[in-house]
Amino acid sequence: MSVSPHPIPQPGTEEYQPVFAGPTLEQLSEILKRYPTKQAALLPALWLVQAARGWISDRNMAEVGEVLGLTAAYVKGVVTFYTMYHQHPVGRHFVQVCTTSPCNICGAEAVVKALLDATGAKELGATSPDGKWTVIEVECLGACGFATPVLVNDDFIESVTPDGVPDLVKRYK
Amino acid sequence: MADELVNLTIDGVPVSVPKGTLVIEAAKQAGVLVPHYCYHPGLPVAGVCRMCLVDIEKAPKLQIACATQVAEGMVVRTQSPQAKSGRMGVLELLLINHPLDCPICDQAGECELQDFTFQEGRPATRYSPDYAKRFNPVEDFGPDVLYVPNRCILCTRCVRFMEDVAKEPVLNVSERGDRAFIGIHSDGRLDHPWAGNVVDLCPVGSLLSKDFLHKARAWELDKAASICTGCSQGCNVTLDTRENVVVRVRPRPNLDVNRYFICDHGRMNYRWMNRGDRIEAPLVRRDGELHATDWDEALDVVASRLGGAGGKTVALVSPKASTEALFFARELFRGHEWSGAFQVVMGEEAPLAGVPNLALRAERAPNGRGAELLGYGRDYASALAAAETAAVVLVLDEPDIAVRTAGKLVYVGTVLPERARDAEVVLPIANVAEEEGTFVNRDGRVQRYFQAKPAPGMARPAWWVFAELVATLQGGGHVATAADAFDRLAVSVDAFRGLSYGQLGFAGAPAPAAAVPA
Amino acid sequence: MGYPHKPHPKETVVLSKHFGEADARTYKGWVKRGGYEMLAQALTLEPARVIDVVKESGLRGRGGAGFPTGLKWSFMPKEKKKPHYLCVNADESEPGTFKDREIMRWTPHALLEGAAIAAHAIQAEVAYIYIRGEFTEPWAVMEKALAEATAAGVFGAIKLYLHRGAGAYICGEETALMNSIEGKRGNPRIKPPFPAAAGVFGMPTTINNVETLAAVPLILKKGAAWYKGLSLSSPKSTGTKLFSVCGHVQKPGNYEVTMGFPLKDLLFDLCGGVPPGRTLKACIPGGSSVPILNREETEGCLLDYEGVVEKGSMLGSGGVIVFDDSTDMVYQIMRLARFYAHESCAQCTQCREGTAWTTKILERILSGQGKTADLDLLLDLADNMTGKTICVLSDSCAAPVVSGIKKFKQEFEDYIAGRRKPVMVA
Repeated sequence: MSVSPHPIPQPGTEEYQPVFAGPTLEQLSEILKRYPTKQAALLPALWLVQAARGWISDRNMAEVGEVLGLTAAYVKGVVTFYTMYHQHPVGRHFVQVCTTSPCNICGAEAVVKALLDATGAKELGATSPDGKWTVIEVECLGACGFATPVLVNDDFIESVTPDGVPDLVKRYK
Repeated sequence: MADELVNLTIDGVPVSVPKGTLVIEAAKQAGVLVPHYCYHPGLPVAGVCRMCLVDIEKAPKLQIACATQVAEGMVVRTQSPQAKSGRMGVLELLLINHPLDCPICDQAGECELQDFTFQEGRPATRYSPDYAKRFNPVEDFGPDVLYVPNRCILCTRCVRFMEDVAKEPVLNVSERGDRAFIGIHSDGRLDHPWAGNVVDLCPVGSLLSKDFLHKARAWELDKAASICTGCSQGCNVTLDTRENVVVRVRPRPNLDVNRYFICDHGRMNYRWMNRGDRIEAPLVRRDGELHATDWDEALDVVASRLGGAGGKTVALVSPKASTEALFFARELFRGHEWSGAFQVVMGEEAPLAGVPNLALRAERAPNGRGAELLGYGRDYASALAAAETAAVVLVLDEPDIAVRTAGKLVYVGTVLPERARDAEVVLPIANVAEEEGTFVNRDGRVQRYFQAKPAPGMARPAWWVFAELVATLQGGGHVATAADAFDRLAVSVDAFRGLSYGQLGFAGAPAPAAAVPA
Repeated sequence: MGYPHKPHPKETVVLSKHFGEADARTYKGWVKRGGYEMLAQALTLEPARVIDVVKESGLRGRGGAGFPTGLKWSFMPKEKKKPHYLCVNADESEPGTFKDREIMRWTPHALLEGAAIAAHAIQAEVAYIYIRGEFTEPWAVMEKALAEATAAGVFGAIKLYLHRGAGAYICGEETALMNSIEGKRGNPRIKPPFPAAAGVFGMPTTINNVETLAAVPLILKKGAAWYKGLSLSSPKSTGTKLFSVCGHVQKPGNYEVTMGFPLKDLLFDLCGGVPPGRTLKACIPGGSSVPILNREETEGCLLDYEGVVEKGSMLGSGGVIVFDDSTDMVYQIMRLARFYAHESCAQCTQCREGTAWTTKILERILSGQGKTADLDLLLDLADNMTGKTICVLSDSCAAPVVSGIKKFKQEFEDYIAGRRKPVMVA
């Protein structure tokens, strides 16, 4: 998916800090109560990892596996299926722009171009040199009547136009 | 509820099968092989490859035979135009990214993609040259397995084997859509003791054995049914030979023993069958040295030197020797003060978790139980001690034992150890790949193995050597074949009563009174 | 309500009555609007009784399949021997569809109440509401609403939980949704077994769409006869439907009309028609997985399950995508094929390889490298991709291709013959 120009920490150079400790572990314990199997907490657990670390590394996957009684390979198979989980670091503001047909015919591709320019990311999937922005195209975001919808991290912004892009970008530090 | 039978018709052939049978299995009874990839009787049904599409009367759409159960009065047509067109469609789509690797691919000649494409695929491509095929580099999954993603058809047999049969999900499907491939975790290796089965399961040349890589072409191989000698489980195998050299061991299905699988230890355990440093002629001691001679003289020498010696006889035998050989070796010393023993190398057990009663067993020899049933014991230390003062010591194919005796040593074996230079007589025998015979596994199952290649030089089956000596020393007829040898054994030993080679066939049978000791 | 516009007089405002009212999202606000009365009542009724009412009403699944809801509930075992589950399908990812999102972010309690009633009817103690990962605002609203309602104790012994998806359209398929809840890849399952026999965690399960469940409290309140009466044409299609209209219309949004409403009126009356100076070229009435209608078919189409089938398409999710004459149909069909290629789970050969190949052929046609044989190839591929796979994603990719080539053949031929300037696709 993305190619980040930032150096990715080499595995093994520092001691691994588990994600599931303290409050995060408590959150997971609560979540586990909702399902009859530990495995069912996998997607929620992966969201917790991504919320804590910004992305999910191979080592994280192994940890999730240990906590839920699954193999690391199994966890990886699940992570790679779902496109919202990042398998490597991304910009501080992760931008998803819908370009599927209903938005496409309402100018979505122009919005993408405007965002790539305004953020300095330049290329789809690349992180801007200042590390702040990654922009990708995604499939239907379920807001077709509000073309073009854009997700910036968890902010769902409707009806974005190329003209509105510079202001949108300015809002994020 | 007793198995209700369901009657249906497959390609015009009426069949009757138990309720719950899958159409793809029922078809086998009708003599019809429904083309398929992801289906395997040893794995849970996936229904993903879509290759086994068949036409079922009254069903609005084509159905997959691997996931459809038989129903009374069902009419199945595998060769209807729609079914064939549906399958041709699947083949075309499998081939658009599958590289034309046949000339360099190990699977060629035993490849189901080749076979079904020839049978019902398109004659030409509609994809190339417009697009490049998907490309990913070869991956090393572990000790013996290579993964060639380009050739993978994503049938997921390997993933399901590791997850549901080996119970260690170390293979996954990674990514989605046409970007999908079989993956392992970066920290993982495919080193499970039974992992080699994924290579057999792979219908194409995507998962390959490093051991077999580029070694031989499938059509050059001769095949013989055999029994694995790696441990006491007695897995049924096929020995593949090329120009009389064993080049590969693969599992042979046996629902009562190993189902469809063998462990890696057994799989890799065949090079010794090709050893060149074999005893190739009988040797007799003359003037203080061993001299090569022919069988007539060698057997005469043994007979004369044994016939004279009364008293204590100790037999130290290999638990790899055939039941027939062990029987006649025992018969030879009827009337003597006899003790016999065998020693088994022990190792770690490695079960295949998803199959009941299947494991790489701690006892690393195939015929310990057979030896026991014939009166040989396990107290090797006592036997060695007794050997020191015995009149005759027979060592059967145990090159590594440190036997010391004041009496006469008769060494019958495949390779000649240093110690055997003190022997009176050395007689060369065939190894398991070079003869017919039987083993009794740990559960008391008697199973036949067949000859895969000729024995070197003048080596003969061990059962023949001892049967000849028995005929010479005790009278009674000569034994012409291994089947006859077994018949003699079955008549004399209660545990084998009623059995015969004809009965044992390729699947073996439990010995009537040979239950597993607690 | 033609949300985000003021309700049009021709709308029949039932589910969308409180869209836009911030207060309606709170527990207290919803109770003020009559909420949770029917749940309280339903909990005192025999489950079979509740099923009967819903059956009688003719309510059909609003997610796309249109399966009669009461009938679906009745497939659950009557005698309770194992845990039963309800799964709410809030994975709304069908291009053109954006109604469930509105229900969740404006009337979350309508969904919660409907889900609880459904859980009671099918004797489920646990309900999972599977919300797609990208729906961050609906998630936040639902989370708050669920907490408030749970604290108020309205659900009795029934436990409702939210479960977040992570970016996979295929998880809107009911069996894939169950696999996703179980912590697996979102692969659809072969059927049988059917969910009512062995669903999530191998237990009897019913899966219902958001819009379907949101209608349930009202059906209980006003009666099955009332709901049946909300139909202009076929008695087989009752009640109202939220149609998500998008694309080349002046007033895109969700419009609630009774079943049988003319598509022409929806587009030109309620939505203000196509932009000025443009003409209607094509319309996909039920989300991108249904065949494309040309102008004539669009203008003659009645919006109920049978009416749309009559025109050669399907009501589906009710996601109405409007294309005016500025649209490059070949490009948009390529873009849809690319959508399906991206979302294919990779299990079935035809879908995994076929969606990608279809996309490639369309890209090549757009780039000016098309051949006359390509159209037959596309149709042949579409035929191989239809009716032969575990789920219908493969068929869904074929639908716009087949209907597009049939009805807009000239546009394809123009690219192939070099009469149209090639488009280089990224």
